[in-house]
Amino acid sequence: MSRPPLDGIRVVDFCWAWAGPYGSLQLAHLGADVIRIESAKRLCPSRLIPPWPDNESGVNRAGYFNQYNQGKRSLTLDLKAPEAIDIAKTLVSKSDIVMNNFASGVMEKLGVGYDVLRRIKSDIIMVSLPGYGTSGPEKDFVSYGPPQVAQSGLSALTGYVGGPPMMAGFSYGDPNGGIHATFAVMSALLHREKTGQGQYIDLSQWEAAIMLLPEAVMDYSMNGTQPERMGNRDPHMAPHGVFRSKGDDRWVSLSVRDEAEWQRLGAVMGQPELSSDARFASLAARKENEAALEEIVTAWTQERTADEATQALQKVGIPAYPSLDALDMINNPHVGARDYFVELEHPEVGTRRHMGIPWTMSRTPCEIRRPAPCLGQDTEAVLTDIVGLSQSEIAALRAKDILT
Amino acid sequence: MPGALSGFRIIECGEMVSAAYASKLMADMGAEVIKIESPHGGDAARQRGPFPGGEPHTEKSGLYLFLNTNKRGITLDLEQPQGQEVFQRLVKDADLLIHNVQPGHMPPLGLDYDRLAAMNPRLVMTSITPFGLRGPHAEYEASDLTLWNAGGLCFLNGGGPGTDHLPPLKAFGQQSGFTAGVHAAVASLGALFARLRGGLGQHVEFSVQECLMGISEFGTMMAAYAGVAVTRLGHKPIQPLDLLECKDGWIFICCVEEHHWHSFVDLMDNPEWAAEPIFEDRLKRGESWDALKLLIQDWVKDFTVQDLYLKAQARRIPFAPVSTMGYLLNSEHLNARGFFVQLDHPEAGSLTYPGAPHICSETPWELRRPAPCLGQHNTEVYTELGMTAQDLAALQRAGTV
Repeated sequence: MSRPPLDGIRVVDFCWAWAGPYGSLQLAHLGADVIRIESAKRLCPSRLIPPWPDNESGVNRAGYFNQYNQGKRSLTLDLKAPEAIDIAKTLVSKSDIVMNNFASGVMEKLGVGYDVLRRIKSDIIMVSLPGYGTSGPEKDFVSYGPPQVAQSGLSALTGYVGGPPMMAGFSYGDPNGGIHATFAVMSALLHREKTGQGQYIDLSQWEAAIMLLPEAVMDYSMNGTQPERMGNRDPHMAPHGVFRSKGDDRWVSLSVRDEAEWQRLGAVMGQPELSSDARFASLAARKENEAALEEIVTAWTQERTADEATQALQKVGIPAYPSLDALDMINNPHVGARDYFVELEHPEVGTRRHMGIPWTMSRTPCEIRRPAPCLGQDTEAVLTDIVGLSQSEIAALRAKDILT
Repeated sequence: MPGALSGFRIIECGEMVSAAYASKLMADMGAEVIKIESPHGGDAARQRGPFPGGEPHTEKSGLYLFLNTNKRGITLDLEQPQGQEVFQRLVKDADLLIHNVQPGHMPPLGLDYDRLAAMNPRLVMTSITPFGLRGPHAEYEASDLTLWNAGGLCFLNGGGPGTDHLPPLKAFGQQSGFTAGVHAAVASLGALFARLRGGLGQHVEFSVQECLMGISEFGTMMAAYAGVAVTRLGHKPIQPLDLLECKDGWIFICCVEEHHWHSFVDLMDNPEWAAEPIFEDRLKRGESWDALKLLIQDWVKDFTVQDLYLKAQARRIPFAPVSTMGYLLNSEHLNARGFFVQLDHPEAGSLTYPGAPHICSETPWELRRPAPCLGQHNTEVYTELGMTAQDLAALQRAGTV
């Protein structure tokens, strides 16, 4: 089998929590050797939170960590010790990419800022992705994924008609910041491959989230207006929403994109007379009478399961899909048939279902080769094979409690 | 100064967001992108707006203007055999072809990897489709809304006390498209990197549904590890993590860790109620949120958003303003970083755009040109392909371009 695209590329991953590890997960998906630097003295928050199998906690049992660190290795180092910093530097000298999502300035304080690392490895690519970026008057402010949804402007734009601002996702700012950082890293890697030049990338998670709502920025720029919250509705399509279906809190989403689909919807619902109903005769009319329209659609959807409604609508080419909850997702027959799920044997949680890679490549297949690492699982191997330490040197470091 | 992706030639057949955002990110990094649009009205994003004064205009849609910076635009009817011949000539010299055409519509448009690769073995072709190219739902039609539901993200939001009867709530805008676009760009660059080393291109198949499932956070893990579906109804398990109303707008109050809560209590001047056992830890505060929210809301209401935000941040509590567009565009921080940029467009005029979320030390990001008008670069691009003015006129008469 062909090698994956980033085979032979090594990433020193100082990231923690959620944004950074999600970004480095993509590099692991592409085949890079991603080595997470961790410490039992300052555990990654994602090792400390539920869910755990059988609700029994454990640093290697957390679903959160095990999902977003698949395919990576774990090296435990106490970065407060000077010897640990020396090891990190040696590792960087044999690597291609350094990632971190610490608050601005932390890497410099640890003695592994870009100015130091570029002297060790002149073509290193380093990315920092703190919430606010590493410059500007608020660079030292603290941030998490959930507040970024508010701070980006997304909350003020999201909500029911006439209702207050609402959230999007749990912590949507995190994966978004991580993936935009990975895009910049991949661009820098291609540049380095062609020119031999490395570089430093300063990514702001706040700015990465604003990239997701250009319609609102442009509206303000053009007209000085703030778009109003409109629930699940759309200015250019109606009906367009999530409708109650049979069952407890079960829902189906659908969008009618044009007049032909509107005609077909009436037929599918067994109400062909709707197509000549003046209240709904055009997009403008349907927008005008949208509440009445939504009642008519709900009367039809709530008599069926979300799957039945979806199948009936898809049969005539109308976009529809059940509003999946998490159990629906992990049992989804379509992605199951596509081999999207990853189920690798993990020493502490056994075989669990994890989300996989959303792309396939025809010539250089990407695959998750190993489950998320147990804490420090690869310390010995990394120090021996890459850093080049002897068994007695490793034992001495262990005795000084530097490798935990 | 050349960009990180200078020298890469990309052909985009994109409608709306996903493929267009992927190639915009690459164009802004220096890649040479040629966007192909149908001669019959072009990309649907041209009809989406927002528009100056709310007046629809093909060249003034805010969504289109943002998504297509730094690209050249041509018109070409891929449904005509002649159009496909021209298309093949374009693809022959391309590094990447990226599209978001539905699987069922790909063959009639000539989007056939094997045929294109036979002419250009170095070609990377990225197919972004709602549900991938195979599997029982591959042919399903989709919208941004139905994909947000198919990826399990819609189900996470909406509801909560007082609104539990309302449906799962989508996020503003075209989130499925943007999230898919940036992920597909990463995958495409991966394939281009493999080609720099191995010489050959390949077909990258990308599923939007799978991409969204992959960011659905706690949800899938709770299901796989604890066998439960996280509900959007009722209270959130951890509090305070909520939106509250200040004197002049909304603020997000966030106490994830216990030390955040202690600092916040201190900021509130240690009210007696904060010592009640029902507010003892973040889980108890979640259970008691009805009562606690009223107490905090009563304290918050006398502050301006900015005042409370700065006071909290001074104590390293991660509060954030619920930003309006006016707040963002006037943010000293964002402007000091040069995030927003002013760009002139021949029809839409001078407007403020979101720039790039990253600052690269050696390959600065830049906006070299605004989004193309429909068919703006036909003469330029077709001449580069070796066509004469007569050839082009013939194609125009046939409605091919």
